[in-house]
Amino acid sequence: MRTGNSRRRLALAACALSGTLLAGATAFAAAPAASATPAPQESTLRVKMSGAGIDTLNPFLAFFNGALDTFGLIYPTLNSLDENGKPGPYLAESWTPSEDKLTWTFKLRDGLKWSDGKPITAEDAAWTFNLIMTDAVAGTANGSLVSNFESVTAPDPTTLVIKTKAPQANVIYVSIPISGIPIVPKHIWEPQAKNLKDVKNDTYPIVGYGPWTLTEYKAEQYAKFDANKDFVLGKPGFDHMVQQSFKSTDAAVAALRSGQIDYINGVNPTQFKALQADKSLLTAQEVGNGWTGIEVNYNARTRTGKKIGTAHPALGDPVLRRAIHLATDKKTLVAKVLDGMGVVGAGYLPPAWPQWTWAPAAGQETPFDLAQANKILDEAGYTKGADGVRVDPKSGKPLNLRLGIHADDTADAGISTYLKGWLETIGIKLKIQTLSMSALNSDLAKGDWDILMDGWTTGPDPTYLLGLQTCAVLPKDDGTGGNTDSFFCDKAYDELFKKQLTTFDQDERAKVVADMQDILYKADVNQMHFYANTLDVARTDTVSGLITGKPDAQGMYPAQTAFWSYLKAAPAAAKQAAAGSEQGGGGLLWAGAGVLAVAVIGGVLVMRRRSSAGDRE
Amino acid sequence: MTVSSLTASAPAAKKVKSSGFLPYLGGKLVAAAVSFFVTLVIGFAIFTLMPSDPVRTLTRGRPTSEAQLAQLRIQLGLDDPLWERFLTFVGNTFKGELGYSWQFQQSVSSLVADRLGPTLLLMGTAAALSIAIGLWLGIRSGWRHGSLFDKIASSTSLTLWSVPTFWLGMILLVVFSVGVGPIPSLFPAGGMSEPSLPQEGWTHVVDVARHLVLPCLTMVLVVFAQYVTVMRASIIDEMGSPYLLTARAKGLTDDAVRRRHAVPNALLPSVTMIFMHLGILVSGAITVEAVYSWPGLGYLTYEALKIPDLPLLQGTFIVFSASVIIMNLLADVVYRFLDPRVRAQ
Repeated sequence: MRTGNSRRRLALAACALSGTLLAGATAFAAAPAASATPAPQESTLRVKMSGAGIDTLNPFLAFFNGALDTFGLIYPTLNSLDENGKPGPYLAESWTPSEDKLTWTFKLRDGLKWSDGKPITAEDAAWTFNLIMTDAVAGTANGSLVSNFESVTAPDPTTLVIKTKAPQANVIYVSIPISGIPIVPKHIWEPQAKNLKDVKNDTYPIVGYGPWTLTEYKAEQYAKFDANKDFVLGKPGFDHMVQQSFKSTDAAVAALRSGQIDYINGVNPTQFKALQADKSLLTAQEVGNGWTGIEVNYNARTRTGKKIGTAHPALGDPVLRRAIHLATDKKTLVAKVLDGMGVVGAGYLPPAWPQWTWAPAAGQETPFDLAQANKILDEAGYTKGADGVRVDPKSGKPLNLRLGIHADDTADAGISTYLKGWLETIGIKLKIQTLSMSALNSDLAKGDWDILMDGWTTGPDPTYLLGLQTCAVLPKDDGTGGNTDSFFCDKAYDELFKKQLTTFDQDERAKVVADMQDILYKADVNQMHFYANTLDVARTDTVSGLITGKPDAQGMYPAQTAFWSYLKAAPAAAKQAAAGSEQGGGGLLWAGAGVLAVAVIGGVLVMRRRSSAGDRE
Repeated sequence: MTVSSLTASAPAAKKVKSSGFLPYLGGKLVAAAVSFFVTLVIGFAIFTLMPSDPVRTLTRGRPTSEAQLAQLRIQLGLDDPLWERFLTFVGNTFKGELGYSWQFQQSVSSLVADRLGPTLLLMGTAAALSIAIGLWLGIRSGWRHGSLFDKIASSTSLTLWSVPTFWLGMILLVVFSVGVGPIPSLFPAGGMSEPSLPQEGWTHVVDVARHLVLPCLTMVLVVFAQYVTVMRASIIDEMGSPYLLTARAKGLTDDAVRRRHAVPNALLPSVTMIFMHLGILVSGAITVEAVYSWPGLGYLTYEALKIPDLPLLQGTFIVFSASVIIMNLLADVVYRFLDPRVRAQ
């Protein structure tokens, strides 16, 4: 009896399973292709969501790239950025600083409306800035951008007046798409302002203004947008956009190749090379917006000059730091670690923002010269011990140095292997310590390190990055309050930092910024190895115009931003797009047939088993 | 956490001398509670003492002033003394509050709840299939060990067991999502649904099923081998037993001897394994979730660890530990019904 029951259950389960499989097979075959669009005449741009995705849709609290990109698309800013990274008009048509350089008057466009039809006025901007200036929670993400603001007022709907405590040259960079402050509609946010920390901002469509409106978002899955056809800076070429979240770029590449998405911003060199062979894809290198290099702990100390940390004392010697710089073959690093897809590093600011880039004058560069490195160390009295490791003449300690690298960064691993070899030939022994970014940051602040691999990207205004090298961000004596990157502190540099903040002529300001980079380069404390190119891939059969600007002589495009790329992207010729979706349909038929075959075979086996079991008993 | 909960519950099991069910269950419940408290302490200690600077990592890449960083430290409670943070943590846990995630700026329970469904869908389907296939193959292979079927089944499953999950995932992704040679693109490359399709109704169910195929297949291929090997070994152990000879002597068919007599006795080690497997279901599978961009709890934990987002990390740790402890408890209870020897203790 027991056997009979269990057999019946087995048969039922088998029937249910084959039923499900059959139903599944039919449905699979009937399922629309992955590239289906909401309506035949409407077009959808499908891209990989950038970086680590969206942490929160609350623009006052978000830190992640995916969120910042999204705000750049759905909320307006005072200024836009042109393709060279220079501020241009957006909500503001014009702006003028006062004679005393303390008051900025922005003239705003008249007649623009939020997505719910209410007018956009200067009051919205003033309210947003004031909230960030006065409320600690509202200042979580962007508080530092307005820390020098005295007051922001809106005397009439099209005039915004910003008064600063001290002259501030970068006011026109404070509210720009993506890296600046997004302006939110006062009528939506004012009732929620008291409870800002708990505002998820997830009522769709989100009321805003920009080239796109966010209509749906599923955490770690996708964000859907509708185009704003009346957008003041141009009409988006697509009707809709979907940003899909991928946790691995390999999966995103697979999705691109199979036609599931149209564009990826940021693949790795190996993927890029593999995709270059595919004729249906456009591969483009854009100049990098970040550097990779090392920090040397030459003098970890607090603001009052109290020494902290456990750095090797010899790193305070400029000769040793220069020897390390001389022993670094940056060209090889670009060729081997980046597969040639990058630019050899020198200046502190990356090439994505050409107005700020600086390179040492001819003859001033530090070359790769192991003999010279050995020579200057010999001359400075660093004699080699029996084990080939040099000894610091002052402290008597051998040059055994720690190199902290990021555990999740393959470039760090590659660089450190080369660096270890080169430094060994000049009598310096490196011990590579692989640490999480969080542990590295923790060690950094305490000064418990010798050399660290580091990397920074920056938005179009360099103030923050340059500020990390000023004396003001050294930690206090109790260890708190520090925001330094290398404990760099130099009076001349600090003077120039203040000067660039008050130089309103941006070309003049660039000269000051160049002098600051010269000081950093000569100190050999922050040694820039390279600026990795950002590698983009787009499908040519579905999208065109997505990569903006023209390539330079080396074939490199200017830095791309989500704002302009998605605005200027347009559907490629309809005929090719149709061909792409047909291919997907074929795939589905295959899937259907496969599942059907499995179901049939499974069914036959079960039937056979039932009959034979019955016969045997 | 599996080890701690098992070792914590083991001595308690020995103490129970009574043959009554309720005292037995009571003993197990107390042991489970103790295990849970111990995991709370361990969870708090390892994550809090881990060297890290969450505020700097969190704000990395954004212009943040010293005042902002200090404000964030206060806001996140990082400046509070350790004992105070521990008491708050324990108190909140018993109130059912898992805290507030630093990076996602929302409650940990809502983050976990959002990802629990997708995690259980993927892991549950994969576990059910692995158990079914693994046990079936294990029984067949063990019963006819040394046969061609046994050789093929055992070697295939062991080969797949030794394959790194992410590597197998990538291979399946390239072959069945991009398409290689004559194989066309059959399944989507990632995610849980196609955004351009309706997110409800029958179409959505089919769409999710299509997205589930590759991640589920990857999990099954790697995991089913453990059931094959355990079940095969248990069946081989039972094969020499006199009761099987008796059954055969009664004139039962080979099939009936296997099904009615050998398999029920050989199942016990597999039951333990199934419950342990069920316990870790909820923790997801970081590698598979990462390869196929599945919105699961495993990857959420990894994201928490990167910062480290302590409330989120501790929250997921509690959920995972509780799940293992509950499943161990269930296993103990089920064992009592399955195995007369446990009742006789």
